[in-house]
Amino acid sequence: MGQLKLVWLLAIKDLKIEYRSRQAFLTTLFFAALILVVFNFAFDPGSASTRDASPGILWVALLFPGMIQLNRSFQSETEEGTLQGIVLAPVDRGILFLGKVLANWLFLLAIDLLILAVFIVFFNFAPDPSFLWVILFMFLVGAGFSAVGTVFAAMVTNVRIREVLLPILLFPIIVPIILAAVNATREVLIHQDFSTVERWLQLVVAFDVIFLAAGFLVFDYVVGE
Amino acid sequence: MSFFWRLGSWSSIMWLESSSYFQQRADRYLKWAAWLLVPLYLVGVAALYAAFIHAPTERTMGEVQRIFYFHVGAAWTAFLAFFVVFVAGIAYLWRRNLFWDELGAASAEVGVVFTTIVLTTGPIWARPIWNTWWPWGDPRVTTTLVLWLIYVAYFALRSSLPAGEKRARLAAVFGIIGFIDVPIVFLSVRWWRTIHPVVITRSEVRLEPEMVQALLIAVAAFTILYFTLLLTRTAMRLQDAASEEIMQAVRERSD
Amino acid sequence: MPPASAPPAPLVRLVNLTRKFGPVTAVKNISLEIRPGDFISIFGPNGAGKSTLLKMVASLLSPTSGKITFSPDGSSPNRREVGYVSHQTLLYNELSGRENLVFYARLFSLADPDEAASRMLSKMGLMEAADLPVRGYSRGMKQRLTLGRALLHEPRLVLLDEPYTGLDQHGSRILTRMLLGLREEKRTVLMVTHSLAEGLELSTRVIIQNRGRIVFQADRESVDQADFENLYFEAVER
Repeated sequence: MGQLKLVWLLAIKDLKIEYRSRQAFLTTLFFAALILVVFNFAFDPGSASTRDASPGILWVALLFPGMIQLNRSFQSETEEGTLQGIVLAPVDRGILFLGKVLANWLFLLAIDLLILAVFIVFFNFAPDPSFLWVILFMFLVGAGFSAVGTVFAAMVTNVRIREVLLPILLFPIIVPIILAAVNATREVLIHQDFSTVERWLQLVVAFDVIFLAAGFLVFDYVVGE
Repeated sequence: MSFFWRLGSWSSIMWLESSSYFQQRADRYLKWAAWLLVPLYLVGVAALYAAFIHAPTERTMGEVQRIFYFHVGAAWTAFLAFFVVFVAGIAYLWRRNLFWDELGAASAEVGVVFTTIVLTTGPIWARPIWNTWWPWGDPRVTTTLVLWLIYVAYFALRSSLPAGEKRARLAAVFGIIGFIDVPIVFLSVRWWRTIHPVVITRSEVRLEPEMVQALLIAVAAFTILYFTLLLTRTAMRLQDAASEEIMQAVRERSD
Repeated sequence: MPPASAPPAPLVRLVNLTRKFGPVTAVKNISLEIRPGDFISIFGPNGAGKSTLLKMVASLLSPTSGKITFSPDGSSPNRREVGYVSHQTLLYNELSGRENLVFYARLFSLADPDEAASRMLSKMGLMEAADLPVRGYSRGMKQRLTLGRALLHEPRLVLLDEPYTGLDQHGSRILTRMLLGLREEKRTVLMVTHSLAEGLELSTRVIIQNRGRIVFQADRESVDQADFENLYFEAVER
């Protein structure tokens, strides 16, 4: 159980640092909101087709800031070499991985929930219990996204083109959960159809389990040496 | 220029174990590739004959359907190539021998070319038959596209890192994660399609026995082609690596 | 005349250590015995493989071949046994000095993290600034905190990777004073440095490494300070 405490310790450390310089959180939040605004200008606001496209817009608005956050989570570690500091600790690298994933996941969740509120306002949705499904997907998709994203973000820390490289690496891999997220959101919000949600849920959970396990196992190879 | 490196490698065989190891392997693989040229030619000609002459014209689709044999052949090897990248990645992480890294990269090079062939022959075939260039709802199509994107990402990652064990290590990890992802992508698109039946009705190719034969021969031909290219590319990469090591030793000696 | 005592048993043994990076061999077959209480300085030009050697002892890198063992148990390098200091601070700027140390203490699973952190802070003379963010610390304070972080878990071996990099006269003086303190405590230290003068002042043994090999090794007493610079250039020019 000491291992779980270490995961929590690592995550809290990251969140504490984020909290101290709220700048990061606020600018990421602002960027996401900005994407929603831009899309509102890009599409005809009132039309039904825009409404139908809105789940996609929501998730796009969450994905890009998510990538930025992933990059930053390791950038802070390269400044003063602190990544080396935690790598030097007698801690399993898989634990380090989980700590980072947890911190990223919680950070993204906070952004997701706030952006959801903005989304409801911009697209004129009536607050509805079906949004609970959307929130559930944010939880689960965020976990898978953080898992794979943390592995790749750790890979590209020292690369100059990392802001572009991370999306190139990450997007193909997370196609399944994007598909699940957007489609489930559309079914639930637009079509009020709850029959397919369970299927998508299973897919996302399976994805999360597989890639959390995979990330846990390979992280040593990414930061070690 | 390569003459000097050959000379250098001969005299340095005593004190450069791995470069001569690479060189030996490279020579061996080129030899094997050369041997494969004969069956490749034979099976290749057989495949062309089978696809264009032996197999009958498909009833509904017409002549354009013949692309199918090469399309499937290329698709099979595209995925086979990625499987090899996956295995080579695991082998590298286990053994830490850069040989596996070169093999994986060579397989990816061949694989991305075949994937491109699949993605370009697909629309040629799809348009006259289904009246669409790109059937998104088809799980095979989307999965192949994602495979292509993963290949490109693999090379983007490699090109952003200097040659060496770090590049090999990270490329191996990415190859492993990518390979795990491919079946998940396929399943997710398939589930999507069962929920939303695609408007385009997919007419399956009705296979006469001659067509099945043609298909098998084409797949065999592409598989041999894959291995020929893999061996050749791997040999070339190993030679480059060996030269680099000799170059390094020469640099150190003249310091 | 007091009887000559037998030399102490080695603390760490490096046996035929080699490290390759692709075609480049950074460390070639290095063997070394580190005795408890040794303060060893490793000098050498850039690219000699000194940092690589140090990182292997710190278990940040694994050797391509060869072994590192701790005596007497013969265990392999344990991250718990080693304290590593590089020229980067390894500190979180947003957190306070105390928070940094408590974090590392918890990470290393120390028995009483808060107590250990407080003790180290007072030892390093940082009690006053303990709860202020590290961002505001002076260079000297950061140095002390960095060293404190490395010593927090009572490592058997302290490794310093070019600690004098980027320090001015004042900073160097502070660092030397701290390291002399380590020597007084009879800590076992392995230091990689470019500063011949500081290295000689602190060490009990000196090593010169060039192109991945040890080209000179001697006890400090047998080395003449005035001559050493010439000796160094001779060793690396060969």
